Amino acid sequence: MTEKSGWEALPIGLEMGPLEIVLDSNTVKKRAELVQWETQEQLEKLGLTPPGFTIRYHAQMKFAALPDLRASIWAKSEHEFLKPMKVGSKVYIRGKIIEKYVKRDRNYVVADYETADEDGEVLMKSRETTVYVE
Amino acid sequence: MRAEEKMEKITRSLKVGDEIPILTKTAYMPIDPNGRNVIHTDEYARDFGMRGALIGGSTLLSYVLEMLYNYFGQNWFYHGKINVSFIGGGAVNGDIVTAHGVIKAIEKKADSNRLTLDVYLETQMQEKIVVGEASCLKS
Repeated sequence: MTEKSGWEALPIGLEMGPLEIVLDSNTVKKRAELVQWETQEQLEKLGLTPPGFTIRYHAQMKFAALPDLRASIWAKSEHEFLKPMKVGSKVYIRGKIIEKYVKRDRNYVVADYETADEDGEVLMKSRETTVYVE
Repeated sequence: MRAEEKMEKITRSLKVGDEIPILTKTAYMPIDPNGRNVIHTDEYARDFGMRGALIGGSTLLSYVLEMLYNYFGQNWFYHGKINVSFIGGGAVNGDIVTAHGVIKAIEKKADSNRLTLDVYLETQMQEKIVVGEASCLKS
């Protein structure tokens, strides 16, 4: 009997993280420059990161949790913004695989992520569907 | 001006079909040939049928989010919702991409309106690469 691996073995309910991210001003500035965020100075004065600043870390969490994953390609991305993220604070992202399915011969994975501040208050909720390539 | 009068004025000035200010960028993402996600490398992405290393979805999404933040202001931090799909051939470094938003519904609330927009990001070839819906309170 062949042992399942990769996408086939991926358990629904698998938790990812928590990942702690320190939103120091240098990290925020670098990322804002990279995505050419034009009102960065205005946000800097408010002490806030651009909205969705931590979304890119979701992929990092997935790669850390799924060693067989070679490529992850976004198919769908859904986010609800509840509170701003403050520069200089720490945030924590928790993720969970909630579904997997096959469509047109491609393997898909659906994951939920919740980003919270140091007090546990939820700042952003996300649901992402990605193509899973082994 | 009383809050209700202000809201009435805003409601009158907004209508379904209005386009919010667009945002154009030259798509860019540093390419790491040894990166963990191989779709962001030229070789693998071409094997996968793409033009080259794909710009990350979070970068493309940030262009749309910036357009929405520019329009909704700080309300976006508290009341913003977005739901998009990534379609077509994606973007590669150097593509000129433009984010668009068109009002599709206006829901009147007590002291603000929730606007729902069709949003999309398209390349210089007029190929839509991100499509979906966003909504937020507009005060």
